[in-house]
Amino acid sequence: MWATSVLRARRWPELDLPLLLAALGLAALGLLMVFSATSTPGAAHQGFWVRQLVWLGVGLAAGTLAASLHYRAYDALAWVLYGISVVLLLAVLVAGSSAFGARRWLELGPLRFQPSELAKIATVMVLARRFDNRWLDLSQARHWAPAAAIVLVPTALVLRQPDLGTALCFPAILVAMYFWAGMPPQSLLLGLSPAANVALYFATGSPWWFLLVLVPLLVWARPRAATVTLVLALNLAVSVSLPHLWNSLHDYQKRRITTFLNPEQDPHGAGYQIIQSKIAIGSGGLKGKGFLKGTQKGLDFLPMRHTDFIFAVVGEELGLLGSLTAVLLYAVLVLRGFGIAAAAHNAFAGLLAVGVTTALFYHTIVNLLMTIGWAPVTGLPLPLLSYGGTALVANCIQVGLLQNVAFRRQER
Amino acid sequence: MSRLTPEKPSRDQRLAVLVTLASLGFALVATGLLRLQLVENERYRRLAEENHVRREVRRAPRGVIRDRHGAVLADNQPSFNVVFRPFPAESSARLTTDRRWLEQVARLCGADTLAVQRAVRAAAATGQSATLRRNAPMDVVAAVEELRADLPGVEVVVEPLRRYPHGRLAAHLLGYAGEIGDEELARLADRGYRPGDLIGRSGVERAYEDVLRGDDGHEYVVVNAMGRRVAGASVVPPTDPVPGGDLVLTVDLRLQQALEDVMGDVERGAAVALDPHDGAILALVSRPSFDPNEFARGLSNERWRELARGGGDPLLNRAVQGVYPPGSTFKVATMLAALRARAARPGTRLQPCPGGYEFGGRYFRCWERRGHGSLDLIGALAHSCDVYFYQLGLRLGLPRLEATARALGLGERTGVDLPHEKKGLVPGAAWYDQRWGAGRWRKGLLLNLAIGQGELLVTPLQLALLAAEVANGGHAVRPHLVDPDPGGAPLARPVQPGLELSDADWGAVRTAMEKVVSEGTGGAARLAGLPVAGKTGTAQNPRGKDHALFLCYAPAARPQVALALVVENGGHGGSAAAPRAGRALHAYFVPDSAALAVAPPAWPADTTDVGD
Repeated sequence: MWATSVLRARRWPELDLPLLLAALGLAALGLLMVFSATSTPGAAHQGFWVRQLVWLGVGLAAGTLAASLHYRAYDALAWVLYGISVVLLLAVLVAGSSAFGARRWLELGPLRFQPSELAKIATVMVLARRFDNRWLDLSQARHWAPAAAIVLVPTALVLRQPDLGTALCFPAILVAMYFWAGMPPQSLLLGLSPAANVALYFATGSPWWFLLVLVPLLVWARPRAATVTLVLALNLAVSVSLPHLWNSLHDYQKRRITTFLNPEQDPHGAGYQIIQSKIAIGSGGLKGKGFLKGTQKGLDFLPMRHTDFIFAVVGEELGLLGSLTAVLLYAVLVLRGFGIAAAAHNAFAGLLAVGVTTALFYHTIVNLLMTIGWAPVTGLPLPLLSYGGTALVANCIQVGLLQNVAFRRQER
Repeated sequence: MSRLTPEKPSRDQRLAVLVTLASLGFALVATGLLRLQLVENERYRRLAEENHVRREVRRAPRGVIRDRHGAVLADNQPSFNVVFRPFPAESSARLTTDRRWLEQVARLCGADTLAVQRAVRAAAATGQSATLRRNAPMDVVAAVEELRADLPGVEVVVEPLRRYPHGRLAAHLLGYAGEIGDEELARLADRGYRPGDLIGRSGVERAYEDVLRGDDGHEYVVVNAMGRRVAGASVVPPTDPVPGGDLVLTVDLRLQQALEDVMGDVERGAAVALDPHDGAILALVSRPSFDPNEFARGLSNERWRELARGGGDPLLNRAVQGVYPPGSTFKVATMLAALRARAARPGTRLQPCPGGYEFGGRYFRCWERRGHGSLDLIGALAHSCDVYFYQLGLRLGLPRLEATARALGLGERTGVDLPHEKKGLVPGAAWYDQRWGAGRWRKGLLLNLAIGQGELLVTPLQLALLAAEVANGGHAVRPHLVDPDPGGAPLARPVQPGLELSDADWGAVRTAMEKVVSEGTGGAARLAGLPVAGKTGTAQNPRGKDHALFLCYAPAARPQVALALVVENGGHGGSAAAPRAGRALHAYFVPDSAALAVAPPAWPADTTDVGD
């Protein structure tokens, strides 16, 4: 009954054209950049762009499929997909293949599959399904707590791989969807304050900075006395226990944690990558060195140049004009995504669009900031641009889901 | 969508918030790009032209190891290493085929051309620098500096070198740290090890690797086309190396030295001294020994083979990894078992010893063929009468003997903080059933067990522990080199609960052990003014001369040191082990008169037979 498929529609559905063009533009740019990054004269890396092209074909098919099924199908299947992705995440921990000290992939015959990509989409669907509720009141614990638990499971499993960068994508989705589903911003900020507290502690080394943030926040939000007490107690507990916890650790345990938080110190020399990435981008200048003319050639100089650090190639060869164009395309993608959410008449569809867009935004911004050296190296690919099958197909599906919501926006 | 809340923003407001936040994020990225590509473009363009940023490791020294009084047992000294740095990548690949360069480098480093080529090739492939010569003498350093222009890629760097100022002293206890191997590197990659790092391989260096290991710093330096550093062109501030944590061991250098001295002429053997109150290891010696400095400086392959496979196995820590039949030292355990099970009282006299004992159609001899006559339990231990202990074994039975031996920590790891500790063996009924089939073994073996022969196996550390627990009244302490909680309660052993006995029974065992030294088989350990309590042992060795054993504690009244000593193929415990223990204790307790006449008074009973 929800098979009101595009195939049966009489006229071409009203796709969101800016979104489609931005996504296709980025995918095409990705192909060119993968080609450039892996084509050193005489080197045998020519296979990458062909494989990326094949994956893009698969992605287009998957995206079309994701767009044509009615989103009510995702509403119905949300828990099933969520269950499957949790099982797969567990399987990764047990039998996954590892790279650089982390288990992230499942081997399926000749294919490698990264279940965290599926988990992101499934989590968005489950949250959208839960929040699509006339009586939802996110100021009450019995409404927001189950959603937090739903997010905690994949977060913890991905954290175990360990993959901090991807794991934090789940809470980011949760916060955006809480907000969209109507959690009062004051509550949201108060709820986030312990996390900000931890971040401030690691940034400044002092547990008392949070007061500077918390006190104005409480004055502004004016919550009930019980909430004030709870928030203060939580923050105080964090402030008091964190330094003790930290100091009670052995030096080598601290070292492991700082390496986890800041992989620049890892044995593969991520700090070296950042510098090479900055040199590549910075030396590109206004107009760049021209396609295929980057001098930072060779995988030896910048490992992961065709995957996580693909944007460095954009910056070097296409210059500021090229890199800003790419950023602009991402901005179009994300802002249209939120726009589509706002235009949807159906609550589930709107929530789905917000969640999917947030995941795309999180990946984009964390990767870009890493590439220009303003964020730690976390090993996140750049959506649609980086080489890699699972991520590309997942990104295509995400764009497909956004289109799905876009051309059914009038439905209730 | 949901209920009306005054604070809840409208859909347009929510959209505005999300759009603003996302736009801010993209604006941040755009700002970063503007700064990199316009403002700093000139600088990065220059760097890219050279494209020669090199990561240089600033090695952190390992922690210093000291004895309980602060004397240094292991520290670091600066050493000049000749290294090859594979930068820039293009030219270093060329160098591997440049014969003139290879030969010159090989001559300087005293290595052969092929080895240099291999190292340089590996370095060029991985981008890591290769150490060509560790601890180079000054003339080599000077020559390398002089030939800089001709030798691109080759440099002298100063790195900490592990130093063991006392050489062979306490070598097994300290262990050694060596350069990490490829296999370890792959296994420990996520712990931050890099090629060229030192890693603890044995002893304390291995057991406390996580503490001792420092945290290397690094620096990104800009280099020119020759691979030389360009001054003042740093890209990011360097991180400083963090030295490893220091360790204070429970070891007492003076007692260690004394034990090393008395074991000096021993070919193979071991000695351990414990503080009986808490199990702290005061000294630990194993023979043959090695010089850990050799490992720090880097071993040639031949030298390594010689040490690892040559005779005597010098890398084996016999104090915790060597297992020996305890011989008559085990009679202390048998006596404790008898008192515990009330199978005999201190004054109990059994059948007199005529020089042997008939059981199950076999004649079990006493080492004293002339016989000991009638003895009580105390006298039997003092004179180590086998016949008395045969009878005691039969009265006890196997289960009770085994239980007491295990309560004393025999047959189980002591939990000492040294790697690869051996368990030893205390056979019980289950063990014999498995070995010979259920019920297919004879009671006669109980007689052998009671005097410490048969299948029993113990480590020298377990023997020292046995002495310590008699001295401290049955507290199951855990031997250790580092006290994690100084001043706290003594560490407990992992398995056994210890031994509970009345004060009178402990007194009887101590009296008997004092008599071993004052009038029995251990007379060689007797010292003027220092009452020692101990027990000799001579363990039958099917492959050669008997092993000599001795365990003791001193001073007898207020024990401060518990000591066990094993001399492989040394012959009799009373003549080969006890006098060494006596000399070591004397040197420790009476430091100013080390030259005291050590000639012991003529000890009673001849010890010409097995099982003294």
